[in-house]
Amino acid sequence: MVLSLLLLPLLLLLLYFIVRPRPVTIPIKNRHVFITGGSIGIGLAIAEQAAAEGAARISLLARSLDKLEAAKQSIQKAYEKVEVSIFPADVRDYDAVQHAIREAGPIDILVVNHGVYVIQELENQGLDVVKFMIDVNLMGTFNVIKAALPLMKDRKNRGPASIALMSSIAGQVCVYGYAAYSATKFGLRGLAEALQQEVISDDIHLSLIFPPVTETPGLEEAMKTMPEISKIMVGSDMMKAEEIGKITINGIKCGRFSIPCNLLGQMVAIATAGLSPQRSFVMASIEVVFAGVFRFVALLFQWH
Amino acid sequence: MLLALLLAPFLLLLLYFIVRPKPVTIPIKNRHVFITGGSSGIGLALAHKAVSEGARVSILARSLPKLEEAQKSIRLAHGVDVAIFAADVRDYDAVQRAVNDAGPIDVLVVNQGVFVPQALEKQGLDEIKFMIDVNLMGSFHVIKAALPSMKSRKDRRQPASIALVSSQAGQVGIYGYSAYSASKFGLRGLAEALQQEVISDNIYISLIFPPDTETPAFEEERKIRPELTDIITSSGGLLKADEVASKTLDGIKAGNFSIPLNLEGRMLTIATAGVSPQSSFLMAFLEVALASLARIVSLFFLWSAYRSVAKWHFQKKGA
Repeated sequence: MVLSLLLLPLLLLLLYFIVRPRPVTIPIKNRHVFITGGSIGIGLAIAEQAAAEGAARISLLARSLDKLEAAKQSIQKAYEKVEVSIFPADVRDYDAVQHAIREAGPIDILVVNHGVYVIQELENQGLDVVKFMIDVNLMGTFNVIKAALPLMKDRKNRGPASIALMSSIAGQVCVYGYAAYSATKFGLRGLAEALQQEVISDDIHLSLIFPPVTETPGLEEAMKTMPEISKIMVGSDMMKAEEIGKITINGIKCGRFSIPCNLLGQMVAIATAGLSPQRSFVMASIEVVFAGVFRFVALLFQWH
Repeated sequence: MLLALLLAPFLLLLLYFIVRPKPVTIPIKNRHVFITGGSSGIGLALAHKAVSEGARVSILARSLPKLEEAQKSIRLAHGVDVAIFAADVRDYDAVQRAVNDAGPIDVLVVNQGVFVPQALEKQGLDEIKFMIDVNLMGSFHVIKAALPSMKSRKDRRQPASIALVSSQAGQVGIYGYSAYSASKFGLRGLAEALQQEVISDNIYISLIFPPDTETPAFEEERKIRPELTDIITSSGGLLKADEVASKTLDGIKAGNFSIPLNLEGRMLTIATAGVSPQSSFLMAFLEVALASLARIVSLFFLWSAYRSVAKWHFQKKGA
């Protein structure tokens, strides 16, 4: 016990030097934030938070022009100074995405937030629904990043940039009924871990956000077909989209790779830290110290 | 330190009672093993091994000539015929026909996979789509096709298995593997959720995490692999296909959820245990006891990987 207390400062010191990539601060003020799935739910909340923090320009991409117009109006009513551009496009259509991104101009903060979810036992879920989730959540994300990356790499001294991917607690832990949805969200993590190594030298920083169940129009849809077991496991502790919006923007500003959204999420993030980068030597120390405890808790969760 | 030593036996005992799913043995002998991507590489090695252990084996792959060659090589080595099915896993109807023709499956090995390593910036969307379609969507096709008959199999007291071949790149994302890692990480999400859905049918899910393995596909990959990918993955180890096959089958027979295949893989598996199931109370104990060490080693690995990236870019600019 005493030995561990003595070792702790040494651990902190060691990790201070070791953590890679190094910490970074990514400003929002006066910058261009581009958000996919930005017309409703969490995407809209992120847009509003970015506006509140002084973003110069906000671009929203989503399928429905009507919802985009409504979103634009609501943001501009609350935050007069910010310039809002809207781009109707389906992320599955690369050409449309590329067109929108080119029109939007150089992006500082790319928030790939769009997503669909249909929760059902794999046995009962249609392959067309599985394909839908993979095409939108995973392939759609590749489309957006591929379209934006060349311009982001070429942005000439505009300061550190961010690519933030909206995952889910279902991208860390899997639950009954989530096979296809979790597959897409776990996939985003593989993408992010690899991509970070590829773009670090361009001062571009990846973030993964892991919201728990959040009150959004998307959730309402999903609840209609969700199996009872999944509903029970998901629980009733829901967060609001505005909270997620704030947490997301804060996490992006701190350049965090993993952005959990509540205490449970933080514990899950420590348990599933795996081989993900950790820029904060303090967080890294916590991850090291509590790794065993959290694995034990995770095993208890399985038993329960 | 003393406290930890005293606590260890208590922890072991507690974990013995807690681990879920409960440990199981999944026999291979006289059972039907169906292997996708079974005509070459790891899949073929698995077919050989399963046949040598007395299983009835079916292999599915795209190329009929390669399937026939595989069939011949197994006949020569073991005097046994495997059933062959030519189908592309991206074609659900073809997969379903093959699965129906093959008959009830006891051990489903979803092993097909393609990999094209390239920095995302340079990689074509068609290649990305190829990897996601074959590795991830293809796996959904195979599982959806086989699941109904596996769930309604006659002898439900005998446990069945669905084994998915992932990769070390499905545990950690590496330079050049953004699409490949995405597809392999996806398999884990699928596996963890599916295990909860099929445990009551006495079906056990396994995820296998091979490092670089000497196969024809790997030979092809090495020719185009970015230099940084080589540098960073070299720490994962290199195995022969038959070693991979032996350890894989052992893991499947033990009903292990995560099946690493070498020491580096074991470290990776402990580090990325996360919230995945663990049937062995001994492994569970190791995971808990070594978790902290594993995270430190992971942070060192990341330090080394990012240094390699920085060094490589610096040298490029200098030259």
